[in-house]
Amino acid sequence: MAHLVEQLIYGLTVGSIYALIALGYTMVYGVMKLINFAHGELFTLGAYFGFVFLVTLNWGGFFGPAIAIGLTVILVSGLVAMAGHLLERVAYRPLRHSDRLAAVVSALGASIFLQNVIMVVWGSRYRAFNASLLPTVVWQVGGQNIPLIRLFVFLVAVAVMLGLYLFINRTRLGLAIRAAAIDQGAAKLMGVDVSRVIAVVFIIGPALGGLAGLLVGIYYGQINFNMGQIYGLKAFTAAVIGGIGNIPGAMIGGLVLGLLETLGDAYISGAWKDAIAFVALILILVFRPTGILRERVAEKL
Amino acid sequence: MTGGELLLELKNLVVSYGGVEAVHGLSLKVHKGELVTILGANGAGKSTTLMAISGVVRPSGGEIHFQGRRIDVLKSHEVVALGITQSPEGRRVFGPMTVEENLKLGAFTRKGQDLEPDLKLVFELFPRLLERRYQMAGTLSGGEQQMLAIGRALMAQPKLLLLDEPSLGLAPLLVKSIFETIKGINESGVTIILVEQNARAALKLADRGYVLDVGHLVLEDKAEHLLNNPQVRDAYLGSR
Ligand SMILES: Nc1ncnc2c1ncn2[C@@H]1O[C@H](COP(=O)(O)OP(=O)(O)OP(=O)(O)O)[C@@H](O)[C@H]1O
Ligand SMILES: [Mg+2]
Repeated sequence: MAHLVEQLIYGLTVGSIYALIALGYTMVYGVMKLINFAHGELFTLGAYFGFVFLVTLNWGGFFGPAIAIGLTVILVSGLVAMAGHLLERVAYRPLRHSDRLAAVVSALGASIFLQNVIMVVWGSRYRAFNASLLPTVVWQVGGQNIPLIRLFVFLVAVAVMLGLYLFINRTRLGLAIRAAAIDQGAAKLMGVDVSRVIAVVFIIGPALGGLAGLLVGIYYGQINFNMGQIYGLKAFTAAVIGGIGNIPGAMIGGLVLGLLETLGDAYISGAWKDAIAFVALILILVFRPTGILRERVAEKL
Repeated sequence: MTGGELLLELKNLVVSYGGVEAVHGLSLKVHKGELVTILGANGAGKSTTLMAISGVVRPSGGEIHFQGRRIDVLKSHEVVALGITQSPEGRRVFGPMTVEENLKLGAFTRKGQDLEPDLKLVFELFPRLLERRYQMAGTLSGGEQQMLAIGRALMAQPKLLLLDEPSLGLAPLLVKSIFETIKGINESGVTIILVEQNARAALKLADRGYVLDVGHLVLEDKAEHLLNNPQVRDAYLGSR
């Protein structure tokens, strides 16, 4: 168990990225009972938008790292949020009153469409995301290596999630989102404009997913047009682990999955890394389909 | 309290679910200050009528007017903002939220207003909710959930309160106290439409009643007349 702390930090870093993406799945599922299959592509879009600002336009060299990162985070989140909003308008809203299968097919279609657009615009090769914004500092603490970049990614993700948590729990709109996720009809009777809630969720979820894409680009230094598939699947797994539709669940599910994967990779076998996620998904679906947090209260009749 | 200003009017309301008509041309009037009850067997279309008034299901025919304004074209949140709230059948409280959060959601349309006086009022009406203010609504007993559903519907300071089977599944003693509370709410100036299976109790409380039978209006009269109507006695009050 050498380098345990190192591995834990690594797991939390990867996990916080899964968590950011998982939030998009879970929030959309919560109010629409629909899995947004195009969410992984919105994540990829975030990575490529970041690529444009930080690599193509070299904002780091222009503005210096701090301003470049700040600007890019805001713009990438905003642009992907707009893309998500557009997606809802075009692919989901017209089907709001159709049957579920139509929405699923539309979601899959949107996913393929976005992936192809990304491939056409940026090509199918891996692109090097060499933004070199952060110095490659690695701290040594008690024999454990702690790279600055890991802490950076983790802290950005956690800060954003904390903000989301406060928004959901402390604001009027957050209350409406939670209500619509619990019982859409009852929320309408309270005077909640459910269409607006859906629109908001389709802005926040993609913004978080896009930000995750940007962080992956910065962290791993390379991106690819179909990176959203594997990240999407893992993040979806994280959402299911936490209980799909459950917002704190998605955060915890992401961190748990990141830790499981990293520890499995380090102490069992590297070949197991991806399998662990899917074994976890299957085990949860079989033994605890409502997720590890399981709803605290059952509906009374 | 009849004869007051007309508050709500349904004109030939038709509601269908996927081509199957559930309400076939219902006309109904409610005046300011009245307590009107809608009676009928299971599947008569009572809940459907209330959901149409609330704008949750869209009518396929007819019109709904509230305070002289046509509201069947509005969205549900606009209807609530006009002052029509509902305590739905089966209570539908938000289980994973606290009692207080549920009540605050009831006042959702009153953006930025001070809710303390209204919370106080609801807690005076239902002291058991005060004791459970920070408890998850899903862990309340059935009766407490019913109190919460009614209290929640009052938080918007409604002009018209729609109550769908508030006595469903409650013990007789609690039914009595809920009915007394409903009477009190009405006397405080809130116009009420009460849908009930418990026809006798509802008619004793109400000013007027409407009787539906599979989507058709079969009777409408003053409550005391309906109580003595042989047809109603046989079909809805049990033979006594
Ligand atoms: N969402 C729905 N989809 C399809 N049919 C529905 C729906 N809701 C109600 N119905 C049908 O409409 C008819 C009227 O139902 P409604 O719930 O209005 O009756 P009700 O008078 O409230 O009955 P109860 O006393 O049992 O509550 C029923 O035949 C019912 O099956
Ligand atoms: Mg009913």
